Amino acid sequence: MEIPYTVKPRPDTGLYNAKLGIWLFLASEVMLFGALFSSYVLLRVGAEPGTWSMGLMDIYVGAGNTMVLIASSMFVVLAWAQLKQGNLAGYKKWKWATIACAVLFLMVKWSYEWPSKFAHYDVWLNDAKVLHEKFEKGYYESASHIEPGGAEHGNTDAHGDDVEKYIEVIYTTRFFKESSDKSKTEFKKAWENGTLALSGHINSYEEAQIDFSITRWNADFGVSKADATKVLAKFSEDKVDELLQDGGELYQKTDYETAKLAEYALGQAGFTVALSVAGYETIKKHPWMWGTKRVNEDIGGKPRVKSLVFGLDETHHKEITLDVEDIKRLSAYEPKHSTFFGIYYTITGLHALHVFGGILVMLYNMLPIGLALWHKDREQYTNRIETFGLFWHFVDLVWIFLFPILYIL
Amino acid sequence: MAYDGQPVPFVGPLIEALLGNSVAPGGVMSSELYNVFGAMHGTIMVFMGIVPAAFAAFGNYVVPLQIGAVDMAFPRVNMASFWSFFLGCVIMTVSFFIPGGAAQAGWTSYSPLASVIPTDGQTYWLIGMIMLITSSLLGAVNFIVTIINLRAPGMTWLRMPFFVWAQFITAFLLLLAFPPLEAAGILQLMDRVIETSFFLPTGLVVGGQDLDVSGGGSPLLWQHLFWFLAHPEVYVLVLPAMGIVAEIISNNTRKPIWGYKYLVGSVVVLGFLAFIVWAHHMYMTGMGTVISAFFQTTTLIISIPSVIILTCLLISLWGGSIRFNTPMLFALAFLPMFGIGGLTGLPLGFNFSDVALHDSYYVIAHFHYVVAPGTIFAIFAGVYYWFPKMTGRIMNEFWGRVHFWGSLIFMNLIFMPMFAQGMAGMSRRMSDGGATYSLANPDNADITVGALDDTIMGLNVSISAAAWAMLIAQLPFIVNLFWSVKHGEKVKSDNPWQATTLEWETPTPPPHGNFTKEIKVYRDPYEYSVPGAKEDFTPQAQPAN
Repeated sequence: MEIPYTVKPRPDTGLYNAKLGIWLFLASEVMLFGALFSSYVLLRVGAEPGTWSMGLMDIYVGAGNTMVLIASSMFVVLAWAQLKQGNLAGYKKWKWATIACAVLFLMVKWSYEWPSKFAHYDVWLNDAKVLHEKFEKGYYESASHIEPGGAEHGNTDAHGDDVEKYIEVIYTTRFFKESSDKSKTEFKKAWENGTLALSGHINSYEEAQIDFSITRWNADFGVSKADATKVLAKFSEDKVDELLQDGGELYQKTDYETAKLAEYALGQAGFTVALSVAGYETIKKHPWMWGTKRVNEDIGGKPRVKSLVFGLDETHHKEITLDVEDIKRLSAYEPKHSTFFGIYYTITGLHALHVFGGILVMLYNMLPIGLALWHKDREQYTNRIETFGLFWHFVDLVWIFLFPILYIL
Repeated sequence: MAYDGQPVPFVGPLIEALLGNSVAPGGVMSSELYNVFGAMHGTIMVFMGIVPAAFAAFGNYVVPLQIGAVDMAFPRVNMASFWSFFLGCVIMTVSFFIPGGAAQAGWTSYSPLASVIPTDGQTYWLIGMIMLITSSLLGAVNFIVTIINLRAPGMTWLRMPFFVWAQFITAFLLLLAFPPLEAAGILQLMDRVIETSFFLPTGLVVGGQDLDVSGGGSPLLWQHLFWFLAHPEVYVLVLPAMGIVAEIISNNTRKPIWGYKYLVGSVVVLGFLAFIVWAHHMYMTGMGTVISAFFQTTTLIISIPSVIILTCLLISLWGGSIRFNTPMLFALAFLPMFGIGGLTGLPLGFNFSDVALHDSYYVIAHFHYVVAPGTIFAIFAGVYYWFPKMTGRIMNEFWGRVHFWGSLIFMNLIFMPMFAQGMAGMSRRMSDGGATYSLANPDNADITVGALDDTIMGLNVSISAAAWAMLIAQLPFIVNLFWSVKHGEKVKSDNPWQATTLEWETPTPPPHGNFTKEIKVYRDPYEYSVPGAKEDFTPQAQPAN
């Protein structure tokens, strides 16, 4: 039994089976990416003013990657043309060039574009007015280079009160591109409500120092006095009796681990204790905001921080120190940062998966196991490369749509 | 029969033993388990039941035979499609046994509920769905290529049996409608696994606590993406059924199907329109009157080709010498049953009446009439009809009739009362059968606003009894199916039904490569009772003399 039209095209349709199949597959791919693009549009149109980030992508890198993919699309055609002429060596040359482009594209994504975002943070403050104290002379002038069209300042010795103006410039560039009545109203709202985000890097952090005191010992807890004394003796050598009787300070400015260990052990023995760190509560309330791998790396894997030293964007990374209790939310530029980054990673990730799949297919075709078909049936092998080329053009085309909507618009 | 708070009769202990006593303590079904069963019943029936049976199974077997092809165009892709389906089924099934059980958010999996539900069932559901969608995609590509490229010489487009046309359009629906659900599935998976907010609006509070997500998403987005698949899916469920019924009716009336070209035209138009009616499932979301009006209009337009198809099949009976064998009985029952399903859909298509009927038992009755006595009867008909081709033996006729009458009676006893319940206001997806929702309060006779009376609530009992009887009515079929493989009456020729289409031109059962002779097609698919012909059927492969 032989299935007809696997190699030669059927005369009335003009297509061999695989070519028809790949076109249908691409039609379904159009619907898949089309649905994601539609989601992008709907999310963007429905976003609250001042929440959809713009201009955060490096356009030059994106444009470079676009050129790389377009070149690879051209190489894949040249490779197929060589095969059509029966030139296997020429085919291999262009095919390796295609693979090289695809790998380069993925490397830029994998080792530069995505990781650099994971190290970049937005911080939302409970009250943006604390920035008045934290900004020093010189911060503002370093931001003057980003002046968006129509922003009304040229004042280079801004100080203190001009912080608001400085932040407005950054805010306007990021969410509205240009200053307008709307952007001004939205900025006022954000400044008042704390929906404002500062972007930058976490340069260092200060660990919380905890004062630890015993409030009282509960005799009815079910632990005998002798046992409780024994437990307490492990933490305090000299004033055991005093602490058991009246309570009092056990540690001054100890580190988090010691404090938590003591809290647990003493709690089991019937002691009520008090920890002094204000920021600790904030951290507990938003455990997820410290939970990402990247945050853990940047702050030493210790989710008990008193303050962060934040290197601000647009100021040549000038630093400000933010106390934990001032922070409402902290997030790297990761998928859960916002719907913008969510859809950005989803679409580019799915596209990268297509590129990766393409590389695997190309490598298979270049290995002896794939080339065996060439030696068996040259036309079928050439067809196989042609259908792959159609797929590859599609992958390229998706990127050509992705680049403007994510990088430029 | 299972009253709220009482053990499920007969199988209660079994449920407890299988799923653990946290979800079914003492055989009593918890609300969570009820939700699991509701969600998974829909999922299993639609994606793991009817699509594989009506589209994949019959399609794979019958389509290549009917167009005179040696095989499907891509056997390996076919295999990949099967194993992807298999894997999806395994994931779905396994999810019943994980802590917390399977998905609970309905087969529609509306977000935010489905995004924030704390058990893992929904995540399994999404991964399972991605497998099933991949399977459908591979199958659809294969069907379309097979039908376009592998037709035998002479098998022109308008000589294809209507079943092939129905499968062709169905394959396009699967090819183009499923990917948006795949996209939606990926987005919901992101929401669940890495805490994005695609479907979670700003300021969402769950269990009295602010949800720790960025917000900014849109629950409506999920519904649009979901129904963009799920409405065409309705036609995926019903078109193959119409195809099977057309084959059987033409064969057993011994005359050409009436209006073959109208049938083909209608099914093509249906395929196009199926893509622009989805939001009639969303009238209650507040998406706006303009959009509602648009989708109401398209919804009513799409009823036209459906009615044309049904009418053609009905008129085909006129003047035929009808053979009432088991496949024909099921095919005939399809017509009024699908008719009831279709006509009761009209009030749901108008948004003013949908406001009252939305999410009530009326909706359940409506779509079950379409897919249960509709599509499933057609599948039964197909099994009885093509069984001789697959095995060389005929299924027992007596037990076939027992199966038919039992199914027909109990199917109606199950679903007909639901129309009454729905119009009385009984809401769906209530684990207590709607008692709480109706606000009836036994302790305070004054609070009876919107209460469902005892007659309406009492129908639950008769429906349950009918459902058990329905199960018993399927036993003759199951026994008959397996028994007949070995012991059924042998067919006397390769064409026991004296049919015209190409699948009866091969040996029984067909060998590898399907045909033992060169196949060439000379005529239309349903040349029955041609004046002047020797017999009352003229096969497509019979040369003109």
